[in-house]
Amino acid sequence: MENKSGSKSLSNSERIKLVQSQRKRTKYQNNMLSVIGILGFLIFWQVITITGLVGSRYLSPPIEIINLFIVKLTNPNPDGAVIGVNILSSLTVALSGFGFAVIIGVPLGLLMGWYKGFDSFMRPLFEIIRPIPPVAWIPLTIVWIGIGLPAKALIVFFAAFVPCLINSYAGIKQTSDVLKNVAKTFGASNFTIFWKIGIPSSMTLTFAGIKVAIGNAWATLVAAEMLAASSGLGYMILMGRQFGRVDLVILGIVVIGIIGIIITMIIVMIENKVVGWKKL
Amino acid sequence: MIKNKTLGMNAEERKAYYLSLLYLILPIISTSLLILLWSTAANNSEFPSPNETWERLILLFQEPIKGLNIFGHVWASLIRVFSALIFNWTFGIAFGILIGWNVKCDALFTPLFDAFRAIPPLAWIPLITIWFGTGEFSKILIVIFGSLASIVVNTQAGMSNIDQLYLNVGTVFNANERQKLFQIAIPSALDAIFAGIRTSTSAAWMVVLAAEMLGANSGVGFLITRGMDSMDMPLVLASMVAIGIVGASLSIVTQFAERLLCPWTIKRSN
Repeated sequence: MENKSGSKSLSNSERIKLVQSQRKRTKYQNNMLSVIGILGFLIFWQVITITGLVGSRYLSPPIEIINLFIVKLTNPNPDGAVIGVNILSSLTVALSGFGFAVIIGVPLGLLMGWYKGFDSFMRPLFEIIRPIPPVAWIPLTIVWIGIGLPAKALIVFFAAFVPCLINSYAGIKQTSDVLKNVAKTFGASNFTIFWKIGIPSSMTLTFAGIKVAIGNAWATLVAAEMLAASSGLGYMILMGRQFGRVDLVILGIVVIGIIGIIITMIIVMIENKVVGWKKL
Repeated sequence: MIKNKTLGMNAEERKAYYLSLLYLILPIISTSLLILLWSTAANNSEFPSPNETWERLILLFQEPIKGLNIFGHVWASLIRVFSALIFNWTFGIAFGILIGWNVKCDALFTPLFDAFRAIPPLAWIPLITIWFGTGEFSKILIVIFGSLASIVVNTQAGMSNIDQLYLNVGTVFNANERQKLFQIAIPSALDAIFAGIRTSTSAAWMVVLAAEMLGANSGVGFLITRGMDSMDMPLVLASMVAIGIVGASLSIVTQFAERLLCPWTIKRSN
């Protein structure tokens, strides 16, 4: 019961307090380290651009990027749209492609995972589509339906569809046999078991798939907009490249990254609402 | 013939037998339906038929485009992929182990790394071409950016999800930190690391395609844009087929390597 200095023994509550304060201190230290990491990077970035170690043709300082963002809020030059319009058009494409991927991919995966006949019918078709990267569809979709919203949404769809399907398939395959047998014992039909046991128990993996899908969708959107678009964040980046405006390129990259983080946060919130019982 | 086989079975067994036959036939039906659909769609439009695509693919073997036949182009893409992957597998795994093992490094680097990870790899392409031009190096750099995140994330997850029990056993047997890291933590994170290797390989194959589509003189992505620019749709489809085949073989090879190097994962997945 004696501590190292051998002077006094600690009571239980004192010990708990000591451990808690130590934990708090490490947590505080770690948070400080995180802030130092990010701030250090930003300062490093600012310093190398201001001192001219890296030419302004190659890199703009972060403060200039923030200024450009404020300017771009109202000024459509040089790519022809203010940043709000670009964000909106990108979001429309990404969310419509992603929405269709979820609406089609998840039920398809669930059905394939549950009904064996349907699985053996659909599987070869899926295995043909799966290994082709979404970007490879771009020329074909341009020929089919031009470069409008449907074309870009289709490319995003291909990117988001595969993880939705694979994960819901794997999720429903993992349904516990005990639960299924209990339902069978109580006289439930195959469809009832599918609906009331299979689908709920597949939800955790399905949501993992949806999270991957939204990431893929957002990443592929950039490619779709670079190869075939007249507005959107990817187009803005590409225009920045063509006009040699490195600040515009970096602004586009930063905005894309931030929106990606926000979308992921929203999906996590929905996940916690839907499968919150998993975390009990 | 079927009658002979089912002769000794009862009704239940016969039903199961017919069902298994049905499961064998259904994939064939669906594939032929797809080909039929493709052919009819091709008949009424400019879209190339399966036959034309096949012939174009054969032609790609014989007649080179820009001095390379299809093997040359696939090889050019694969070299880019592998030079990027070799860097990622060494640096990415080391970095993942560092931030998965050391709490201080985790706190320092993870937020920064997450910020970089949020940026889609393809968004880097314009910036990288501003910095390094459109040469070979910038293509490899794009592939590195595109496939680094998955390996780091998987390694980090594997390292920080180690069963505490194993580490405690190590402590009981008086292992020092280095022994715990190299003899307990890394081996038990190996399957997560391999999952990272698999995803990074397929990500790299996707990104190299995009990098080549935005400007290259060789590689499968170049073939696709070439087909689009010269309105040679059979070429586009033939290169898509080639891309699909190479992508599928890459994932088979990495899966095989995983089974070879960490055989205990087979048991878990079954």
